[in-house]
Amino acid sequence: MSEVITAVRAPAAPAPRSRRGSALRALAWAALLLVLLVLPLYVGPGLLSAGQYVMVGAVGAIGLTLVIGQAGLLSLAHAFFLLVGGTSYAVLAGETEQAGSEYIVGLGLPPLLALVGAVVISALAGLAFAPVAGRLKGIYLGVASLALVFLGFYLGQALPMLTGGAASGRNPEPFSLFGFSFSNEGYLAVLGVPFRQSERLWYLFLAFTVIAFVLARGAVRSRVGRAWRGVRDNEAAAAVMGVNVLRAKAGAFAVSAAYAGLSGVMVTLWLGLLKPDESEFGTYGLNTSIAFLAMAIIGGLGSIAGAVVGALIVYGTPQVLTLFADELGLGDTLAGLSPNVISLYVYGLAVILVVLFEPGGLAAIGRRIAGFATRRLHPDGTAATAPRSAPPGEDRS
Amino acid sequence: MTLRRTWRRACVPAAIAVALVLAGCSTRAPEPGAGGGAGEVATDVGVSADTVTLGVLTDTSGPFRNLGTGITQGNQLWADELNARGGVCGRRIALEIADSGYKADTATTVYRQQQPNVLGYLQLLGSPINAALRGNLETDEVTSLALSWSSFILDNPYQIIPGTTYDLEMINGLAYMQQQGLIADGDTLGHIYIGGEYGDNGFLGAQYYAQQHGMTLQPAKIAATDTDMTNIVTGFQGAGVKAILLTTSPAQTASALNAANALGLNVPVLGNNPVFDPATNLAGPAAASVGNLYVVASSVPYSADVPKAKEVQEAFEAKNPDAGKNYGVPYGYAGGLIWEQILVRACENGDLTRKGVHDAFLASQGITTEDLVASELDFSKAGSPPSRSVYIAQADPAQEGGLRQVVPPFTAPEAESYKAPHEQGA
Repeated sequence: MSEVITAVRAPAAPAPRSRRGSALRALAWAALLLVLLVLPLYVGPGLLSAGQYVMVGAVGAIGLTLVIGQAGLLSLAHAFFLLVGGTSYAVLAGETEQAGSEYIVGLGLPPLLALVGAVVISALAGLAFAPVAGRLKGIYLGVASLALVFLGFYLGQALPMLTGGAASGRNPEPFSLFGFSFSNEGYLAVLGVPFRQSERLWYLFLAFTVIAFVLARGAVRSRVGRAWRGVRDNEAAAAVMGVNVLRAKAGAFAVSAAYAGLSGVMVTLWLGLLKPDESEFGTYGLNTSIAFLAMAIIGGLGSIAGAVVGALIVYGTPQVLTLFADELGLGDTLAGLSPNVISLYVYGLAVILVVLFEPGGLAAIGRRIAGFATRRLHPDGTAATAPRSAPPGEDRS
Repeated sequence: MTLRRTWRRACVPAAIAVALVLAGCSTRAPEPGAGGGAGEVATDVGVSADTVTLGVLTDTSGPFRNLGTGITQGNQLWADELNARGGVCGRRIALEIADSGYKADTATTVYRQQQPNVLGYLQLLGSPINAALRGNLETDEVTSLALSWSSFILDNPYQIIPGTTYDLEMINGLAYMQQQGLIADGDTLGHIYIGGEYGDNGFLGAQYYAQQHGMTLQPAKIAATDTDMTNIVTGFQGAGVKAILLTTSPAQTASALNAANALGLNVPVLGNNPVFDPATNLAGPAAASVGNLYVVASSVPYSADVPKAKEVQEAFEAKNPDAGKNYGVPYGYAGGLIWEQILVRACENGDLTRKGVHDAFLASQGITTEDLVASELDFSKAGSPPSRSVYIAQADPAQEGGLRQVVPPFTAPEAESYKAPHEQGA
């Protein structure tokens, strides 16, 4: 892992941007957003659900790419913060009641407040880990953070009054905003398409993802981001330049945990259930931490847009392969090589290929294609102002 | 000039997006499935004029792949036979089969895709999956056969449990062992169980029986992924246990049995139905130590001396000569028989809608499975397990499927008096 981390060391002066390029990019993003906005009118609940799951991954992966790629702190604790976020939301928004065999507590706050509270609590949990994050580096920090995942596994089972217990978990309060519920409640149709939970959650998750994306880009381009990269590249040099190294590290961990917390709330809303794991390999287990790491690596450590694409590959592939198993000729689930297994191979292979051949990840490939296209279009030398292929770790989305 | 070119280039993605919006002015059709009812029977989702579609969401790549495959093959066997007999309500049965890998996230997406096409679920395997889909089944009114025999889930009126729950399996098994003189009042028993829906429910039954008979229970809660039971079994030996109870996975069962064998702890071992898998427990060195294992289940062992089981066995081997053989096959077939009777009743009521099927299910008392499941099933009492009887089998490598039935269907008095967590009334 440390190799990957070292590979990200790179100068980070933002290249001059051409105004034209910026306008183009903005338009392309707007077009993509438009497509995403109208999608629920065209695709069914299965694919929407897969898309929502990708957004869950994207939000978490953006948080992870900030802490690993930008601040250079390897974290394997992401799944733990997911659990913290999901549980906080369920407790803050839920009611105190007897659910199944467990007595659970809830504060009954409005969902929006509970959501904000959950993100704040996750951030505080990340901050609480700062003393460790400040002292360790590289793989040592990774292993130390891994302990949190096992702590979460234990706490999830040991505190059924918060989590609902590993047996059946607890159902979180559906998210609602100003009386509008993001569930099947009430009838709403747009252009003849009934908007039920799948469609409503799509827009909610899209909003979360966009906010997460924009905030992360803002952070990366601001003083905060420069401090993180400074710490990543050389702590002594950063300190000399006036960066409070410990505070920058703690901040990166807290921000990343806040993202993971939001992602955890999204998982809970998506499943309609908060259920701590029965085994170490569940929704909040080691496998989830590794999946997020894979997203960050595949996307290109440090790149925000890359993290989103990484989420698309790691969380999207199993879902899409399962949905279209018949069409893809993977129909016979009894044959052993089911879509589930194949998707594991796909993303395992993606990680290997990226690490071997393009440590900059998909983000670097994307930049190269963009650079190539610009040079082709402007052979007269305007390419000089176009974005050049940037080193990995630097976000220019 | 360059500016104009820029705008032209910029317009392309935007135009594509707009075209995408406008091109399909016919947006998504509303919910599909309003089937062509043949007139006399009302239908809505998953039923057309000639087909009833049932979903199967199983595990063919995760920890329960052998069982999941067996059950699905049993399901298919039933559907083929029923279709050969002319189907139900003038319609043939089609199965929509998918694999969840025992993962709640995969299962959730598959469910959202399948739900608009299926009338109900012939199989929904796994407790995390049943927990994750619990709310959806209620909102969508999808009646589903849950392959999680936990009495904790009986508060959901849309989940069919095809037999006896884990707590009752333990109670019956302990009662049987006591009748056989293998354990006595006041004994100490060791119980290894997986924390979660499955293990907690088995432990609930063991606790109940131990209280009734003044026995001391030594619990050892483990995680589903633990593999080595040696330390726990050594501890049991130190505590002087007279029997070991298992609510574990097949691999953990093998580890516990091996450890007991190595330590010379020659006590009877009693397990819930998922503890045993012939492919795991009868392969290699595990086979040598399996002799003390009793398995309690509401389904017949694969090679049971029950006429219908023999029939299923023959049909199965004719169709899948190379497939693994386990008790999932007759259980899958039995699940089909349960659905068949619900569908027939709904058809008689002239209502094959989801609601009609659910009403028919809730009114079902004397569901029979020709002894593939230990007793008749009664789904009409909310929160109460539909059956309290079990088959008890002993591991025997000489048998097909690895289990030898030791008693006819068995119901202990303690099982009759036991009150399940969600049971209503006295």
